[in-house]
Amino acid sequence: MKKLLALVLALALLLTAMSFALAEELPTITIMFHGSNVTDDTAVLEAVNDYIADKVGAKLEVVWGTWGDFDDKATNALLSGDTGIDMVFTCSWSADEYNTYAKNGYFVKLDDLIAEYGADLVAAIPESLMQAATIEGAEGMGIYAVNGFKDTATQNTWDVNVTLLNELGYTLDDFKAMSFYDFGELFQKAKELKGDAFYPFLVEPMVLERMVTGSIIVAGDSGSTNLLSLYLNQDDVSAEGPEGNVILNKFATDEYRAFVDQMHEYYEAGYVDPSLAVAETSNDTRTNTQKTGEYLIGTQSYAFGYEYSADVLDRGIEVAFVPCTDPYVDTTASQGAMVAISTASEHPVESFKFLALLNSDPTLMTLLNYGVEGIHYNLNDDGLVEFTDERANYSPWTNGMGNVTILPDTAAEGAGFRESFKEYYAGAKAIPALGYVFDNADVANEMAALGTVAAQYALALDAGALDPETTLPDFLAALDAAGMQAYLDAANAQLAAYLG
Amino acid sequence: MNKPQRNQVALNTFGPGAQALFHTVLGLFALMCIVPFLFVIIISFTSEDSIRQIGYSFMPLSWSTQAYGYVFRLGDALWRSYFNSFLITVIGTVLSVAICVLYSYPLYRKDFKYRGFFNFMSFFTMIFGGGLVPTFVVCKTLLGLSDNYAALIVPLLFSPFNVIVMRTFFQTTVPRELIEASTIDGAGEYRTLLQIVLPVVKPGIATIALLNALAFWNEWFLSLLYITKNMDVIPLQYLLMRMQRNADFLAKNSAMLGADAAQAARNLPSQSLKMALVVFIVVPIACAYPFFQRYVVAGLTVGSVKG
Repeated sequence: MKKLLALVLALALLLTAMSFALAEELPTITIMFHGSNVTDDTAVLEAVNDYIADKVGAKLEVVWGTWGDFDDKATNALLSGDTGIDMVFTCSWSADEYNTYAKNGYFVKLDDLIAEYGADLVAAIPESLMQAATIEGAEGMGIYAVNGFKDTATQNTWDVNVTLLNELGYTLDDFKAMSFYDFGELFQKAKELKGDAFYPFLVEPMVLERMVTGSIIVAGDSGSTNLLSLYLNQDDVSAEGPEGNVILNKFATDEYRAFVDQMHEYYEAGYVDPSLAVAETSNDTRTNTQKTGEYLIGTQSYAFGYEYSADVLDRGIEVAFVPCTDPYVDTTASQGAMVAISTASEHPVESFKFLALLNSDPTLMTLLNYGVEGIHYNLNDDGLVEFTDERANYSPWTNGMGNVTILPDTAAEGAGFRESFKEYYAGAKAIPALGYVFDNADVANEMAALGTVAAQYALALDAGALDPETTLPDFLAALDAAGMQAYLDAANAQLAAYLG
Repeated sequence: MNKPQRNQVALNTFGPGAQALFHTVLGLFALMCIVPFLFVIIISFTSEDSIRQIGYSFMPLSWSTQAYGYVFRLGDALWRSYFNSFLITVIGTVLSVAICVLYSYPLYRKDFKYRGFFNFMSFFTMIFGGGLVPTFVVCKTLLGLSDNYAALIVPLLFSPFNVIVMRTFFQTTVPRELIEASTIDGAGEYRTLLQIVLPVVKPGIATIALLNALAFWNEWFLSLLYITKNMDVIPLQYLLMRMQRNADFLAKNSAMLGADAAQAARNLPSQSLKMALVVFIVVPIACAYPFFQRYVVAGLTVGSVKG
């Protein structure tokens, strides 16, 4: 027994000695990002740590979460109270969903820290984003994450192959005058010109549905297949929609019926690739076909400047993005990329100082986002960023990091890009129900059941593969049986309470 | 005189009709096992253009070794993870077999006092698990299994299922008289186990070793959980799985991510590259089968003629 006691005391002594030794060094703060493609961050972190040593008083470590593994890693770290992760990416669509995790006490409330250290941050980020991040969390109403300034508005566009459109004898203006229900003649001509194996209508079926019916995503709805919808006033997005501020079952509306009827007609005529109607192949088919430019009209959830990205420039055709509505700010988009501080963190103050600096200091943001000048990029004669081959080993997800408006312009984007970007999104109007998040905790069982039913029908219906005449009634009946009304009522009661 | 007549079938064989039927059924079954693998090989040599135009096909429009070229250019990351896969599998298999034998042998010995207790301890974990997060906490913060090889080996070292298989194997193949005899002849416990019992249970050990080797070789979830910063220790399976999960995630969330998803999709490997990696993963472990097979077959038939 004495031996054991001696051992414990010796260990305790050793640990204290160690913590004293550590106290003299700067503390390490760790941040976990989403969607990165980083294999070598040595040079970047060295430069970052030199830069922030005095300003933040800590050393930075980064966990580069990839698209596929972030959700598991982030939720594990948060749920287990891992002290090794100080800051973590969060948003309205990741597994560590902002509203839920803030409510359950995993994120530090930042209001006091902002008041003390956040003057630069407040100056750098629009007021509306601060508002969008203000929610009812574990410690009351407040801000629980630093909201990144990125493409904070949603805008769905037609992705038009102008090269082919001109070949068919139409101009872009002709196209702009058409609606979804008039596309038939275009498709038919394209099909005659390019042959049977050509599918002119390259869509993301779920996005197409939103574009045609004017429905928008309700934050907190079933993630895999949205069931609920608010309807947008397509002429003025900030005004009340045609149905008022009421949430509807999106599959039961007349607009939806008209949409799927038309889509089925297009599908039967061979205008839509059948693999778009299958969940496993839908996205692959779309992105692969986009690359080759073998389509006439597509759908694209648009971000300002997308036409300058290599993704579009490499298609070998002239592409135009024709908007369906003005960009609108909804809850999903305005909580699209944020970074929160974990309540398990031992260094919340240093972490916050770092986040404030990252979002307001162009040097740090550029370093962490674009890499080191001379290694990952060079500045050309016009002062624009040109990436080197090293960029392949260091490509974090730009929008997931924070304030992208303080980055320098790249050669591909052209000078003045960031300024226009800021203007574009500063001008975006908010929908009336901005900030509303459906808390589905009470109807979680219904949501799971409804999600399963919708997964069975929605994509294939939206893509036109199923005949609405026979399948839509079955679908609606199955939704009713799975508790659609209770789900709707819960959502509407909360919306009414939110809007007051 | 019992002269065998024409058409009379020996007692221990089947008639020609039944033989043909069995051969057909088993042949078809074997085909079902091998065809997917052949398909994977064909796809790995298919050109991207062909996949884009006609999808996966046994008869692609054009062939290409581009995917393998890319795999070899992955360079360090690939060979490193390939080496890790071997390292983890070899160390893990040796250790886990040793632990399994050393745990199940006492459970088989009737004269072991705490047999019931240890039996229960291992059996209990088969029925009740701790759940993901508690396991994660214990492994990471208590045991320090994070960003190192140990994190990829230790959690899989002990398998109650294998212990039960091995214990049963001891019970059915090692007669107690054997142990009594060796005790009488003056062998200590270790000599009894290592020199007398082990040679008898070789087929059982081979079975366990095969199961464990497969488990370690195919493991990727542990890397997902415990490897966050030190990517030098990840196995090949995880490299592949990560690509797959990235593609799945982007497909699922493309509507939320919009243009970002489309741009990120550009960094994803092509279909043929994925299949080329599958070939890299499958070939070594497929080569391990013949070595184990001898014992596994012996394990199935041993004891079958005894009363």
